[in-house]
Amino acid sequence: MRKTELQDRLLAFIGGASDDFNALALEIFAFQREHNAPYRAYCDRLRQPVHHWQDIPAVPTSAFKHLPIACFPVAEAAAEFHTSGTTADQTGKHYFKTLELYDAASAPNFRAHLFPDDATMPVLSLVPDDPRSSLAYMIRVVGGKFVERLVPTTEPVCVLGTAFHFLNLFDAGFTSQLPPGSRVMETGGFKGRSREISKRELYRLFAERLGVTYVVNEYGMTELSTQFYDHRTGSDRKDVPAWARVMIVDPATGQEAPPGQRGLIRVFDLANLWSAMAIQTEDLGVADGDGFQILGRVAGAEVRGCSLTAEEFSQRP
Amino acid sequence: MSATVEQVRAAITRVHAARDRVLARRTTDAVIDALAEASRRWLAPDSPWRNRAVAQATEPTGFSPAMVNEIVDLIFSQLTHETLGELLDRELGDRRVLDEFSRRGRLQTRATGPRLISHFLAGNVPAPGILSLCGGLLLRSANLVKMAARDPVFPALFVESLAAVDAELAGCVAVLNWPRTDAAVTQAALADAETVIAYGDDRTIAALRQLAPATAKFIGYGHKVSFAVVAREAMTSDNLPALAQAAAFDVSIYDQQGCLSPHVIYVEERGALSPRRFAAALAEAMAEYQQRVPRGALSVEETAAITTIRAGYQFRAESDRRVSVWTGPDANDWLVLYEDDPVFSPSCLNRVVFVKPTDGFPRVLDNVRRFAPLISTVGVSPMNERAMAFAGDLAQMGVSRVCEIGDMQRPPLAWHHDGRPNLAELVRWTDVG
Repeated sequence: MRKTELQDRLLAFIGGASDDFNALALEIFAFQREHNAPYRAYCDRLRQPVHHWQDIPAVPTSAFKHLPIACFPVAEAAAEFHTSGTTADQTGKHYFKTLELYDAASAPNFRAHLFPDDATMPVLSLVPDDPRSSLAYMIRVVGGKFVERLVPTTEPVCVLGTAFHFLNLFDAGFTSQLPPGSRVMETGGFKGRSREISKRELYRLFAERLGVTYVVNEYGMTELSTQFYDHRTGSDRKDVPAWARVMIVDPATGQEAPPGQRGLIRVFDLANLWSAMAIQTEDLGVADGDGFQILGRVAGAEVRGCSLTAEEFSQRP
Repeated sequence: MSATVEQVRAAITRVHAARDRVLARRTTDAVIDALAEASRRWLAPDSPWRNRAVAQATEPTGFSPAMVNEIVDLIFSQLTHETLGELLDRELGDRRVLDEFSRRGRLQTRATGPRLISHFLAGNVPAPGILSLCGGLLLRSANLVKMAARDPVFPALFVESLAAVDAELAGCVAVLNWPRTDAAVTQAALADAETVIAYGDDRTIAALRQLAPATAKFIGYGHKVSFAVVAREAMTSDNLPALAQAAAFDVSIYDQQGCLSPHVIYVEERGALSPRRFAAALAEAMAEYQQRVPRGALSVEETAAITTIRAGYQFRAESDRRVSVWTGPDANDWLVLYEDDPVFSPSCLNRVVFVKPTDGFPRVLDNVRRFAPLISTVGVSPMNERAMAFAGDLAQMGVSRVCEIGDMQRPPLAWHHDGRPNLAELVRWTDVG
C-alpha cells in the first residue's frame, strides 16, 4: 500500500471507521522498516519474527536524541517537536511529515475525556507557546489559549497545565474558586525541578485553591502522536484509544509482563506513521483492565545518593 | 526488630559501662589482638561466621552467596594485626599514646577516644561500617551502631564474632536497628554522642546533622562517584587480559554499588591496542566474573533501568559506529557500553560500565572537573610517572584517592577516607608540660 493511502486509512480509523488494528499495525511496521534506516538496522539485529503487533520491535525513546527516527527526509518535515533537555545532544527530536494524524488523534480524544458531557467552555493553558513543544502544540489543537495568569471568572473554564505550572501558581499564593463545572487537565512535568509533590497533594490543592474536583491526568510524550487520559476523573486507569495499544513489558524477559506485574510501558501508536509506531518508554506501569496505570519514571534520573541528576553529570563543560 | 527509645537508652548505659571496664583493663595492643583474631576467624573457607553471613546476608543485601563470600574475603583480609597497628601509628604518631603519656619534644601527651560514638551505617556496601566500628574500638570508645535496613547482618555478626574472642571488648558496641523515619529513636541515639559518624546519601546525612546535638562532632560520609583511566602505556596485548580482569573486579564487586565502583573507564587512544579492544577484553572479563560471582537479584526498577539503557545503546550501535554494546547471555547480567564521546556518563549501577576513548588526561580532567567534589577514587593504570603527574592534577581538583586499577575497591586501612584522617579527627589530646 502507498503511504498516502496508509495515512488516509489511518485517518478514517482514528475518525471511528472500523478496521483491523493488527493488520494495519503490521503494514505500518513494514512501511517503517523499509523507510527508516536506523530502525531497519535495529530490526535486522534483533531478528525477531513479527507475526503480530506485539512482536513489532520498539524504538527506545532515547534513540530520538541521537538518530533521525523518520520515514521521510527530515528536511521535508512539516514540524519537529523537541524533548526538554539541558544541552543540544540531550534533545530528542520527533519529525512529522504532516500533522494531520497528530491533529486527528489529539482533539476528539481530549474532548472525550475532558468534556464527556459535551460541555463547552473556554480552554485556558498555563503552558507557554513554544513551536518546539509537542505539549504546547497539542494544547493549541484542542483549542487551548495560553494565559499569563488566571483571573476570576463567572463562567466555568477548563485549565490545562503541567503539575509544575500548577504548583508554581499555588506557591505564588493563587486562590480563586472557579465556577462549578470547571475542570483541570494536568500532565507530568516535574522533571529536573526542585520541588515535587504527590498526586494526592496536588489534587487536594486543586480542590482547595481552585474549587475544582474534576481533574484528569494526561500522559503524553514528544515521541508519540497520541495522548492517554484517565478513564474518568478520580481514576488511575488510562484509556487506550482504538488506534493504539499499550503493553507492559517485563524488563527481565522483554516479554509482556503477567497481569498485575509492574513493567516498562511500551506504546504502539499507529498515529506515529511517519516516525516509529512502536515506542519503548522509560516509564513503569501496570496493566489495568483494558487500560494501564503509570507508576513513574525508571530510576536513575538522580544518580544514587549524589544529589546530582544524570543530566547534570553529563552536561558538557 | 525495631529498637525503641528505651532500648537505645539502655544500650547506651550498657556500652558506657563496658567501656569503663575495657579502659581499665585493656591496652591498645590487646584491642588490636582481639580485632585481628576475630577477623582471622572469618577467613577460613569453612568459617562459621562466613557461613552465617552467606546464609543471612544474601536476602537483605541482594548480593549473591558467592558475592557475600567475596565481600568477607575483602573486608577481613585487611583487618590484620599489622594493618590495624599501622593505622594507629600513622594517624596518631604512635599507638601507645592511647595507653600512656608519651614524650613529644618538650611535651608529654596522650590521646583519648570519644566517650560514645554513634555510627549510622549505609546499606549499599558493608565494609565502611565494619571499619567504622573497628576504629571506635581501637580508640576504646563506647559505640552505638545503627545498621541499615539493607544490611542488618554484617555489623551484628562481626560483633558476635568479636565477643567469642573478647566478650568485654565486644560489649563496647551495641548494634541496633530502627526505621530512619523514627526521629524519636534517632534522637535518643544521638543525644549522648560525643561523635557522630554517618554514611549515606546527602539527604540522610543532612537530616542527621540537623538532629545531632550541637556539641557533638559530626563526620558525614556522603555518596561519591568513581571512574578509571587506562593510559596508552597499558594498552599492550601482554598486559590487556590482566588489566581487563582487574577492571572487571573493580566494576563488579559489590555489584557496583559502592562509592569506589567505577562508572566510566576512559581509555587513552594511540596505545598499541585500541580502546575498543579494551572494551571487548573487559566484556570477556565481566562474563568470567559473572560466571564465578553472579550478580545479585534486582528489583523491577533496577532491571528496568538496565534494560532502558541497554536498548537505547543497542539501537544506536546498529547505526552509529561510535557506539558498541557487549552483554552476557542474559542481557541484563552486565553491560559494557563503548561510546566515543568523552562526556562522563553516570551508570545505573549493577555492573553497567561505560568505556570511552580519550585523547589524553587533560580531556578527562575537562570532563570531570564540574563534579570534582563528588569524586572519590580514580583508578589509573599503569601508575607511572605520567600517571603521578595526572594524580597531582586530580588532587588539585579535589579528588581524594588515585590508585592502580584493580585496587579501587581495596583501599588500605590507613587511607584518607574522603580525603580525611579516620582516627586522628576523633581523638582528644591531653598535654603535660
